[in-house]
Amino acid sequence: MRTDNRPIMVEMRGICKYFGQLKALDNVSLDVRDGEKLVLIGPSGSGKSTLLRSINQLERIDHGRIIIDGFDISDPETNINKVREEIGMVFQSFNVFPHKTVLDNVNLAQIVVRKRSRKEASEISRELLNKVGIIDKAEQYPDKLSGGQQQRVAIARALAMKPRIMLFDEPTSALDPEMTGEVLDVMIKLAKEGITMMVATHEMGFAREVADRVIFMDYGAIIEEGKSEHLFKNPTRDRTKLFLDQIL
Amino acid sequence: MAEIKEWKDAVKTPRPAILISDGPAIPRRKDSGLFTAWRISFIGAIAMVAYLAISRPDPYWKILKFIPDGILVTFQVTIAAIVLALIIGLFTGLGRISKNKILNGIASLYVEIIRGIPLLVQLFYIYFALGRIVNLPAMASAIIAMAVCYGAYMGEIFRAGIESISSGQMEAARSLGMTSSQAMRHVILPQAIKTILPPIGNEFVALLKDSSLVSILAVSDLLRRGREFAAESFNYFETYTMVALVYLIITLLLSKLISIMEEKVGANR
Repeated sequence: MRTDNRPIMVEMRGICKYFGQLKALDNVSLDVRDGEKLVLIGPSGSGKSTLLRSINQLERIDHGRIIIDGFDISDPETNINKVREEIGMVFQSFNVFPHKTVLDNVNLAQIVVRKRSRKEASEISRELLNKVGIIDKAEQYPDKLSGGQQQRVAIARALAMKPRIMLFDEPTSALDPEMTGEVLDVMIKLAKEGITMMVATHEMGFAREVADRVIFMDYGAIIEEGKSEHLFKNPTRDRTKLFLDQIL
Repeated sequence: MAEIKEWKDAVKTPRPAILISDGPAIPRRKDSGLFTAWRISFIGAIAMVAYLAISRPDPYWKILKFIPDGILVTFQVTIAAIVLALIIGLFTGLGRISKNKILNGIASLYVEIIRGIPLLVQLFYIYFALGRIVNLPAMASAIIAMAVCYGAYMGEIFRAGIESISSGQMEAARSLGMTSSQAMRHVILPQAIKTILPPIGNEFVALLKDSSLVSILAVSDLLRRGREFAAESFNYFETYTMVALVYLIITLLLSKLISIMEEKVGANR
């Protein structure tokens, strides 16, 4: 799908983020267009997670501007909760709510934030649980679920808010290989539906299959970006080459 | 089965136990033997009371008939104070983890000051300070004083309980668009309760024992009733023996009750 003429969804300009002396993000500028699938790759500690987390302000940036769908989130006047409603986030460690059933995990924010009735929320939740393939676990508590199943609950939970963009922060890194596939399948399905996605991952197969653009990061900066077939075959920078040699 | 263990580790957020112990140990399920310390002391105390009351009705039976009013007052003070202390404690705990410097400062100052002054001194202070401003009945002042003191300890328990929930839970809730108070109410506190309950149980028993201090403020609790009886009959040794045994029986019963409650909460999450 061509997305280069679509409106810009996320606009980042000159972002810097420090953790003490460590420069986690070093002057990052990036545009993400509506419907675009962006895959972030790079060694651990390269800033992929920090970049994603700064988009919904789980990390506050020290310099630069982030504009999401017209809202400048670095502006203190912006209601960050409103912006976050439009951004779905999936974490490496799932972070499902252990005290709630699978159905209630997906219901909670719909009821509390979107003010949907329980009945209305449950209908949406069941539909999404069906989509991610765990409708049969709806009444279970998360500790009865495998990691892959929990991560799919987390994806359904984020989708229930009907977000404009989905952020995936290494969604399969905490999973065993046999469970990685079931989560990636759900993500591929989502990608085909056209939702805007930013995915930090080490799954190069996934990047090849769905990415409109692949971004290689190292030491908090974007080193190289391009279409997956170009970047994987003919990286122009030595650091990208080195990284790809190690991982492929 | 290695993978099952791994995802179990991933879902179970680490819940470090808060080890504060004051008063009789809350019995655990594994201490289910016949001759546990709990059973020996409980049965021993009851047998002792019964033996004394039957073998020497004067004064023991008389004492036993004289003090029930006091037991009731002790319970009233304890329960009212613990409810107030829980409310104060919740807000203190939230204040202690707040990023708002003023709220945090007030909560921390309160905890530091209260924990640095003996309870008996605080009781006197609040009783007489309140007495100057508003003319509160002794019972009400006593309850407020106990609650203010215990609120500080409760605050620390709430803080520790909230901090024991992994930060990912708060992040997940916030990333769904919840405000921090919505996340606290729907995600963090319901999980923290499990960690918080045992130390709160301990505080409850401790508060019941410390409530004996209010007898100094002209509140007719169990200890004060005992003193009244002793002052009239000069049976000091006999009276305080009985008072001590009754306190022991009550606290042992309470600790058992709390352990049953904890198990229930643990089982149905």
